[in-house]
Amino acid sequence: MLKLNSVNKTFNRNSLDEHQALNNVNLHVAEGEFVTIIGGNGAGKSTLFNVISGSMLCDSGEIILGSEDITYMPEYKRASFIGRIFQDPMKGTAPNMTLGENLLIAYMRSTNRNIMGVPSKKEKDYIKEHLSSLDLGLENRMNTKIGLLSGGQRQAVTLVMATLVKPMLLLLDEHTAALDPLSAKTVTELTKKIVAENNITSLMITHNISSALDLGTRTIMMDSGSIVMDLKGEERKKASVQSLLAKFN
Amino acid sequence: MSLTAFIGSMELGLVYSLLTFGTFISFRILKVADLTVDGSFVLGAAASAVFTFEGMPFTGIIAALIAGAMAGVITALLQTKMGIQPILAGILTMTGLYSINLMVMDGKANIPLLNKTSIFTYAENFGGRAYKIIVLSVIISIIFMLLNWFFRTLLGLSIRATGDNEDMCKASSINTDSVKIVAFALSNSIVALSGALLAQMQQSADVNMGSGMVVISFASLIIGSVIIKNKNITGGLLSVVIGSIIYRLIIALILTTNFPPSYLKLISAIVVIIALCVPNLKKKMEVNRKERGRKNC
Repeated sequence: MLKLNSVNKTFNRNSLDEHQALNNVNLHVAEGEFVTIIGGNGAGKSTLFNVISGSMLCDSGEIILGSEDITYMPEYKRASFIGRIFQDPMKGTAPNMTLGENLLIAYMRSTNRNIMGVPSKKEKDYIKEHLSSLDLGLENRMNTKIGLLSGGQRQAVTLVMATLVKPMLLLLDEHTAALDPLSAKTVTELTKKIVAENNITSLMITHNISSALDLGTRTIMMDSGSIVMDLKGEERKKASVQSLLAKFN
Repeated sequence: MSLTAFIGSMELGLVYSLLTFGTFISFRILKVADLTVDGSFVLGAAASAVFTFEGMPFTGIIAALIAGAMAGVITALLQTKMGIQPILAGILTMTGLYSINLMVMDGKANIPLLNKTSIFTYAENFGGRAYKIIVLSVIISIIFMLLNWFFRTLLGLSIRATGDNEDMCKASSINTDSVKIVAFALSNSIVALSGALLAQMQQSADVNMGSGMVVISFASLIIGSVIIKNKNITGGLLSVVIGSIIYRLIIALILTTNFPPSYLKLISAIVVIIALCVPNLKKKMEVNRKERGRKNC
């Protein structure tokens, strides 16, 4: 499904601040896998997401998604099949537009739609139905400006937007880290539900080691730009927070 | 105010509401102050005047629409593909347009259109004294309805979202560069239409008639948004028309006093400065008030 072959990325090359953020990373993710990624600050986790989503280009190596080589594809084109959610809940939604309008924009990327068309009642109803199936209590606030929703609600909406049209790959970049414990739990549960129901191939960065083991089907640890540990199946079931913390040092 | 002065300011208010539709798109929706306007307004007037002089007023209007769109595309390309700061991109296009405008006007700083047939001429027979207002109202209604529809289409929604949160648009697979090019083309096309109509209405085009247009349109935008609080697209477009007319009426009132007309631009600038700094001053006063309240108890 997703293949990274010998991907390298160096910042400030040939200067005193030279820093190799990704060092010959090889990662193969199978269809339907949910990979959680842990590692200290500066381990290269976010850079990994940046090169996959296209907000940065890697120096060498190749990135293949499905059957397509996306190494040098522009960010907005990749976005039609890669969903990405950031830590900052303000980043994923347009605050001065209504909830309904935000969802419509996310829905647009679905097909080759006529951009001069006005969204039909049927499409609006579909979006509303989809939202109410998720039990967020937001389906009656379609005309509310997103800026008036709480951070937790906005992050939940961002998640719905990223998955409204099933993406080939979902990138979750510490998407619950900025939320209060209760909202974080709601968004985590929602993530679990959406990913499981739609069988979406996902990568999730987290600093919470217990949720890294609890969620998903595979856990990798990064350090200094390399993948230093890769746990799946039985081996992963046996792993505990303590054993992973020991590896950290 | 005399009836003539009232009719005159209504006419100007309507013409300038088109100009303000243009800056509504760039300033309010894309949240970029686009200074191209000072140049594209004259470009529209010049294109319109050249054709009107040759007896083709309608062709002049079409030419203005196309020329204005091209000016917008250039500013947008400078901003997106060349990575020039939005304000500077506008200034560069505006500066370059000055020469282009002179070129369009065949090197003359002024084209008089006295006794030439304009699009207003056709309404003279049945419109009475308000014939220009009738023609302008029809044009503005059409543009109003077109824009009101356009900003509900998916492309229109994309433009609004690009101004609101560009990261979110990229994440929704929207090519924000293309969206900006469309928006600036549309904006400057309408601005040029405004200039084209003014030239035919005042029966002359002048290469300097564009100076200060940005500020005038911002003043109208601000006056409009004070009167109509509704922030959706229809409300926003309506506030543009109302704001532009009220702005012109205020200017006409000032002119009935003994105030020298040369101060008008200064007044426009002051109106915009006050309107833009009021929210900030309010916040400061609030803090001061709270602080005093605490000291008193």
